[in-house]
Amino acid sequence: MYRLSLAVRYLLTRPVNLLGVGGILISVWALVVVVSLFSGFLRVLEEHVRSATSDVVVSDVPEWTEWNTLQAALADDPNVAAAAPRLLHYGMLIPPGRRPAPAPLPGKSALHGGDQPFLFVYGVDAALEATATDMQQWLDSPEIPEDLRAADTATPLAAISETPAVLIGLERMLREGLTVGDPLRLTTARMVRSEDGRSRPVKIEIDLRVGGAFRTEHGGFDGNNVFVDIGTLRAALSPDRPGSVQEVAVRVHDKQQLEETAQRLSRVVNRVTEQNGRAFGRVETWRERNEQFLANVSHQRGLMKIVLIVIMVVAAFLMLATLSMMVTEKTSDIGILTAMGGTPIGVTTVFLACGVVITVAGVSLGLVTGVLTAVYLEEIRQAMLWSTGVDLFPLDVYNLQRVPCRIEPAWLLQVTVMALLTGALASVIPALRAARHDPLVSLRGI
Amino acid sequence: MSTEKPPVLHAADVHKSYAIGNRRIEVLRGVNLTINAGETVALLGASGAGKSTLLHLLGLLDSPTRGEVQFSGEATSDRSAAYRAKLRNRHIGFVFQFYHLIPELTALQNVLLAQMMGVSVLGYWRARRRSHAAARQMLERVGLGERLHHRPSELSGGERQRCAIARALLANPSIVLADEPTGNLDSQTAAGVVELMFSIQRERDLAFLLVTHDESLAQRCDRIVRMKDGVVIEQEQVR
Repeated sequence: MYRLSLAVRYLLTRPVNLLGVGGILISVWALVVVVSLFSGFLRVLEEHVRSATSDVVVSDVPEWTEWNTLQAALADDPNVAAAAPRLLHYGMLIPPGRRPAPAPLPGKSALHGGDQPFLFVYGVDAALEATATDMQQWLDSPEIPEDLRAADTATPLAAISETPAVLIGLERMLREGLTVGDPLRLTTARMVRSEDGRSRPVKIEIDLRVGGAFRTEHGGFDGNNVFVDIGTLRAALSPDRPGSVQEVAVRVHDKQQLEETAQRLSRVVNRVTEQNGRAFGRVETWRERNEQFLANVSHQRGLMKIVLIVIMVVAAFLMLATLSMMVTEKTSDIGILTAMGGTPIGVTTVFLACGVVITVAGVSLGLVTGVLTAVYLEEIRQAMLWSTGVDLFPLDVYNLQRVPCRIEPAWLLQVTVMALLTGALASVIPALRAARHDPLVSLRGI
Repeated sequence: MSTEKPPVLHAADVHKSYAIGNRRIEVLRGVNLTINAGETVALLGASGAGKSTLLHLLGLLDSPTRGEVQFSGEATSDRSAAYRAKLRNRHIGFVFQFYHLIPELTALQNVLLAQMMGVSVLGYWRARRRSHAAARQMLERVGLGERLHHRPSELSGGERQRCAIARALLANPSIVLADEPTGNLDSQTAAGVVELMFSIQRERDLAFLLVTHDESLAQRCDRIVRMKDGVVIEQEQVR
């Protein structure tokens, strides 16, 4: 009883101990806010990436594979709902007669892609693509202005004035001032084996017209990719292989069985693509396909945790210093407490209780303020923007509606336990010093 | 009269030595002393005679290097620190020259502290009204009824010592050990404190061991014990 009571008195009469509380508070607050922000950001990124990727993607399909054979084999799997063929190529997309734009400076558009004319070209069967991906939603996105929307989103790649259509990301269309029907030229190349047995690049130019805009949640995808009809791309790249396919987008019935389905499909693709005893093709779930991209953010979150835990250790040292000062000041009390019936353990507990009170106060305040800050992060951002003009978290850079936040109870628990342990460790050293102090020395008034 | 009462504290051939570097300092060299219930004993001697060391041993704050300290006939040297702490809390009161009040606590809280130390949280909570009343009464008895909520820094030297006396007496101890209780006070204040101590001693029939340099104060006790170089050289029965 007296230990806690005395510890609280000691703390209340020494404002310097607020440093310890403040240190723990700040470190807990930062750990809660920053990690909640990163977790929210990671979740939003996952949603964005998810919206632009099919459930399962079959890639690296060799050129000799016939789409009809592969489609039939994939369709045999009970969990496959739809599959769509793709040809994947690259090239420069610029209006005819214009020079390519200069390389972009680092910034928002560079992050998203889309500043440079060099991009990836997906050759797709629009009808099948809409069954295997969310292409219909990309085309029907309410954010696409009517004058940039495809004339008929059910057949978005239908030729315009007998010229093949191309679907372009909304941001790119707006930035380049393109409208539906504008002429563009895709300049690319393909490797052709000549008579001497060497491969040489041969320039290909495909005249296209803007068919309309699409918009996924994933800005990077929209900025770097365009869609054309698979027949157009086949005719230019592999005219002698009318059934060629490089990639297949697959939609599954049961999303809970993605991994199992991908494993099964991998065996199917290997069987279909096998040649000379060697299997080809790669099958990935949407998460595996974007693993590196998502892992980057996840690694950044891990790095931030380490940095912030270091702040907590610094706070613990601050607490250790203030408690040590207090023990030095209170040696006289150690003597009288012992005389009145205190044991060395009892006296130790008084100073340990000081540390515990500081830690508990710091952790409690840190958790409360941290959770409140995380919950109202968007409102705080807006208030900062309104009052100072500083945008702490520019939403358009990340294609977000509001500052993301995800409070994970398990992380709150981890932070609490970590802070309590750190605080307890920092309290033990001064408390042991108090216990080692000879009470008779202070009673003699030496 | 005092010899008819049972002994509260008894030091039997007590030795105490300290090691300072390679040297061994013999502070007490075979002290025999008994303090009976209700008896007042003055411990006189020059500085370095071993008075305070003996008081600490008798107060169970320290253990003798050799010999035995008995409390109410019970040997204490081989008992645990926790047990001896309990004996101190319940049966021994201390008054020091430098008061040793906790500066963060009020006079009332300082007096209550010893009471809080001896019981559990629940025990204290149950008895809190009684404890508070007893502490108030004790402070009123020592003349600090108007200063209950003052901190030590707001009290004079005499008031602080009165507060320390109240603290020592609240648990109704068998004996009070006072180490030069007036050593830090002016003569007028010291006289008041001494008067208070002896009047309470008479009221409660307490045993008192006073370590002092003051011959006149010693003469008010039942017995005077003189020490020199770590041994008791003379015991004089005054009354």
